[in-house]
Amino acid sequence: MRLLIVLGFLGLFIQSCRKDYASSIPLQENVDTTIASVKYSGDFMSGPFGSVSGTAKIYETGGFYQVALRDMTISNGPDLHVYLSQEEQPLNFIDLGKLKSTSGNQVYPVINIPDFSLYKYVLIHCQKYNHLFGSAQVEP
Amino acid sequence: MRKICLIFFVMCALNPSYAQSIDDIRVNRYVDLATTIGKSQGSISGSYVYNRRSWNKKKWEAGISLRWTGYVGTKAEFITAPARLARTNTIPFLIFFAGQRKESQDTLTVQRPLTNSINLALNIGYNFNSKWSLGFNIDIIGFTFGRRSSAILTTHGKMQTEPAAKPASFNLLLTGDHDRGSLNSEFFLRYHLNDTWSIRAIYEFLFVEYKTQSVKQVAPDGTIVNRFRNKANTFGLGFSYHFKTKYYL
Repeated sequence: MRLLIVLGFLGLFIQSCRKDYASSIPLQENVDTTIASVKYSGDFMSGPFGSVSGTAKIYETGGFYQVALRDMTISNGPDLHVYLSQEEQPLNFIDLGKLKSTSGNQVYPVINIPDFSLYKYVLIHCQKYNHLFGSAQVEP
Repeated sequence: MRKICLIFFVMCALNPSYAQSIDDIRVNRYVDLATTIGKSQGSISGSYVYNRRSWNKKKWEAGISLRWTGYVGTKAEFITAPARLARTNTIPFLIFFAGQRKESQDTLTVQRPLTNSINLALNIGYNFNSKWSLGFNIDIIGFTFGRRSSAILTTHGKMQTEPAAKPASFNLLLTGDHDRGSLNSEFFLRYHLNDTWSIRAIYEFLFVEYKTQSVKQVAPDGTIVNRFRNKANTFGLGFSYHFKTKYYL
């Protein structure tokens, strides 16, 4: 009985740790390209703490911007976020939210209109431990 | 012979083991272990308390204690700490009722805060009867050490990474947002299980302060800020072991 209780607590602990991780179910979100146009794009390179491959594209629809991640494959980690950043390291950035999935296509709206001549990088970053998983420099 | 008898009586008078003793109800001396939990944060504290009972039939008690408080959180939000930037009125004590100056408050989200504070505290309590009592305590001065953690400073939607925010090391009670460092305070209701053990239901209000090193807030008036404060409201339980203090007649 005691063993069951200990195992139960251990299971709950592991589950609570895993809760931080992104889903690994492939996503198929896409931007409606009949009304949106690509303004900036770039390919991902792996950072020092993970492996990331895929493409980042920034679409504009009537002054509204979206960041689309296409054909992504990302090594999973805790508390992964998508940033729009001024530097390749996340020193000055805008947090677009938690990474939705480690694979597939996904879209993140950009709430304010940043100056894209300053915000030139899309990053995959582990916020909790301040670890950069990957970056893409986006250019016109 | 007279000398021997005299020495014997003097020794009896000096040595408490020969003296008659009773429990001293004027002193309430105990060690306490408490834990509280709140939203994404919690604390553990251990303290040694020495209170004196006096006034109204020994119902009131007051004293000092030495307390260790351990605080841990995840993605805890710390806001601009200096009172002048945080509050509309900074007069001591009136600051409790002052409004927030939202325009000059930025948020530092500390990813994995962990602090240990050792403080001298003041206590006051009222004993309703032999079983139930009510109390309040507050840290006044001490020091803090703890874990450095990465943090994110958010200013008007723009974010900057602070790689290694660290806990403020010096603690001092100065009323409200004038306070420095990490200070714990508790309101509690105590129930005595028997002569030596009691249990407490606690509401804890804990200030924790972190300092940034590479990233700083620039307030609207140009002030550079590196102190940020988290005000944790938590609830929990405490267990106390009461020592018997002898009073020699």
